[in-house]
Amino acid sequence: MLCAMGAQTTLARLEGAHKNFGKIAALAGLNLEVRRGELLALVGPNGAGKSTAISLLLGLQRPDRGSAMLFDEDPQSIGARRRIGVMMQEVNLSPVMRPREFIAQTASYYPSPYDTQAVIKRLGIEKIADRAYGGLSGGQKRQAQFGMAICGRPELLFLDEPTVGLDVQSRGALWQVVRDLVHEGCSIILTTHYLEEAEALADRVAVIDHGRLVAAGTVEEIRAHVSRKNITCRSSVSVDTLRAWPAVLQVSEKSGRQQIVTQDAETVLRQLLGADAGVRDIEVRAAGLGDALAALTSDDNAGSLQ
Amino acid sequence: MNSKYQLMSGSRVFAAYLGDMRFELTKMMRTPMFSVPTLLFPLMFFVLFGVVMGSARGNGQQSLYAFASFGVLGAMAPGLFGFGVSLAFEREQGMLLFRQAVPMPAGSYLLARMVMAMIFVAISSLALILMALFLAHMQLTIGQCVAFFFMNVVGVLPFCALGMFVGTLVSGQAAPAIINLIYIPISFLSGLFIPMEVLPASLRQIAPLWPTHHLLQLSRAELGLNSVGSPEIHVAALLGATVLFFSLAMRKLSGSGIRLIGGARSGGPLPMRRAVNMGVLGVSLGLLIAGITGGNAPHAATKTAATSNGTGESVPDASGSSAPVGVAAPDKPLIANFDDGQARTSYGLGFSASDDKMRGGNSSVAQKVVEGALEVSGEVGTAIQYPFAGTSFLPNGSPGVDWAKQGFMDYSHKQTLSFRARGDGHEYMVMMMGPALDTIPAMYNFTAGSDWQDVHVPLQNMASIDLQRVKLISFGTMAPGAFRFQIDDVRLE
Repeated sequence: MLCAMGAQTTLARLEGAHKNFGKIAALAGLNLEVRRGELLALVGPNGAGKSTAISLLLGLQRPDRGSAMLFDEDPQSIGARRRIGVMMQEVNLSPVMRPREFIAQTASYYPSPYDTQAVIKRLGIEKIADRAYGGLSGGQKRQAQFGMAICGRPELLFLDEPTVGLDVQSRGALWQVVRDLVHEGCSIILTTHYLEEAEALADRVAVIDHGRLVAAGTVEEIRAHVSRKNITCRSSVSVDTLRAWPAVLQVSEKSGRQQIVTQDAETVLRQLLGADAGVRDIEVRAAGLGDALAALTSDDNAGSLQ
Repeated sequence: MNSKYQLMSGSRVFAAYLGDMRFELTKMMRTPMFSVPTLLFPLMFFVLFGVVMGSARGNGQQSLYAFASFGVLGAMAPGLFGFGVSLAFEREQGMLLFRQAVPMPAGSYLLARMVMAMIFVAISSLALILMALFLAHMQLTIGQCVAFFFMNVVGVLPFCALGMFVGTLVSGQAAPAIINLIYIPISFLSGLFIPMEVLPASLRQIAPLWPTHHLLQLSRAELGLNSVGSPEIHVAALLGATVLFFSLAMRKLSGSGIRLIGGARSGGPLPMRRAVNMGVLGVSLGLLIAGITGGNAPHAATKTAATSNGTGESVPDASGSSAPVGVAAPDKPLIANFDDGQARTSYGLGFSASDDKMRGGNSSVAQKVVEGALEVSGEVGTAIQYPFAGTSFLPNGSPGVDWAKQGFMDYSHKQTLSFRARGDGHEYMVMMMGPALDTIPAMYNFTAGSDWQDVHVPLQNMASIDLQRVKLISFGTMAPGAFRFQIDDVRLE
């Protein structure tokens, strides 16, 4: 039994999960699994069902149909919950208490937590550890909550938008801790609006839209779902002319540079050089995760998030 | 990375419970909006009503009543505000949901908040006891102090449940207003600040609806003061309210994914769970209804009233409780049967119409003997706070003598005051008054219906005054408006 558990490779799983809120279907048969040792990023447009998926895995909500499992147990069982750490969105803690007190309290719920002072030191939040939570900045509050999430020495860590409100430096520090934790064998499920964050951290990305899984794989695999390329250049060829070329999908112009989206970069480049021998500053870029996301999901703005 | 992470030693779980209690207590201590009113208000009111006003009037009874009242007030606030306002706020801010996601031990949050509320009540009750003993110089027995303390500390629970229920219904912003809308009216309506006798009969009748009424009556009975309803009834009502509001609150919370008590629902067929839920609801409702219907019934006091020596103020000789006891009452039971057409009594000064004009009131009263019974009628005015009109009898009185010099009668060896009464259907009271005019008399309510009815008042019910020093027995009313009633065959045996 012990060995079987140690060898367990799927730590959390949703199978055909349906969840409706009134007439709105938040999840429509979502399949999702988090494997041991990986950092899975959950991405998708607003309202895609990311938060609902997390809620089901945490046992905060029950699927209408399908199943949610945590360590092969009911997510509401305390045994399963003792193996996870949680950082939720939209949680405001008591303004009169202090980060050190929050971390110590949360740590007390776990069988073998980290030492509170060690957590504070690891996150570099010594300066705010004994200040009232109510007086902290948004980013500092997220840091305190991150401390509460990791203090229980979790096997699986849920991070819901962990870096909202953090400055660049703090975000980098938090990313480093996340990478270290994965290195130490902790599995992480992360939802984020910053695709850059998913690209920087994720071993695997799960793209969710309309309550379903539309793609899952490494960042490269997701990108490969779209064969589009972006070409930027300075050319005398007008936007209207470019738009008329059959291989060109989209054209826009920004501060004197044309931006061309195409599935056939070679043809477009040949045509461009033929039409304007003086074309300068040519740059060809493979589609980013944001482009892939835009292509995979219904959200037209997803690309601009990057 | 194996199953050892699921196991947690008992001592660590215990430490987690303890840690949550400390956490909640620290949190509330650091919230002056909560800690100041809950701890200071009852003490402030007791100083005002119990110490300053009580001693200014040389009146131990008033201090005792204030002691009971503000003990209850001290038990209300931590429950109502601690559960109502804080829970609404924390629910709204997502804190409760977060606690569902982390492995908080079952029920720890609720337990911690309950203990926090109890500790606050313990502090205010203890402070009240100390003030009663050393500031108001009240003579409380150790048993009374201990009973007072535990009654209030446990008595916070129905208020926790009520607060919790409100906290699940309203937003954190609205909660303080809603809680105050409950807290202040029920304090008044169950007589924490004003004697119930000044309230209209309709409001007096519905007093058992308020949990404060039941806790107050329990406390009064323990202190040997006038009380209504039996202790069992009050305990039933408080228990019923606790279970009812608590289960309603849990139901509401579980609708939004918050399970404060247990982990996963441990199966059990749905119909059975329903049946259990309905059972709990039914039993709690039953207890509550029993309490509401029986919470106003006359009840014989079984304890002797604690008294106060005042605060060193000298009281006129004959009206102080240190005065010699009264003349032993004659063995003959009959006081008056009015058969000779007179309002004469077999001993003492006969019945005479009495009102509140001497105290500045505007009530009027007249009496006459009709068909061998004494008819008293008139109108109670509203000019003073405690108006009165009726008929009074001085058992050891002498004509033409000041109130202060009127003698006492010792009724301590008698058991029952009985009489027949009829009238306009209103409620009247019979009162026995001790040494000082401004003490709260021992009172017993009866209804004078259209038919003659026998009323028996066990003197135990009048034990809030000193039965060895009875100066006056009155029949009458404090309810403003016209009244008319007849009494006959007044006996004390």
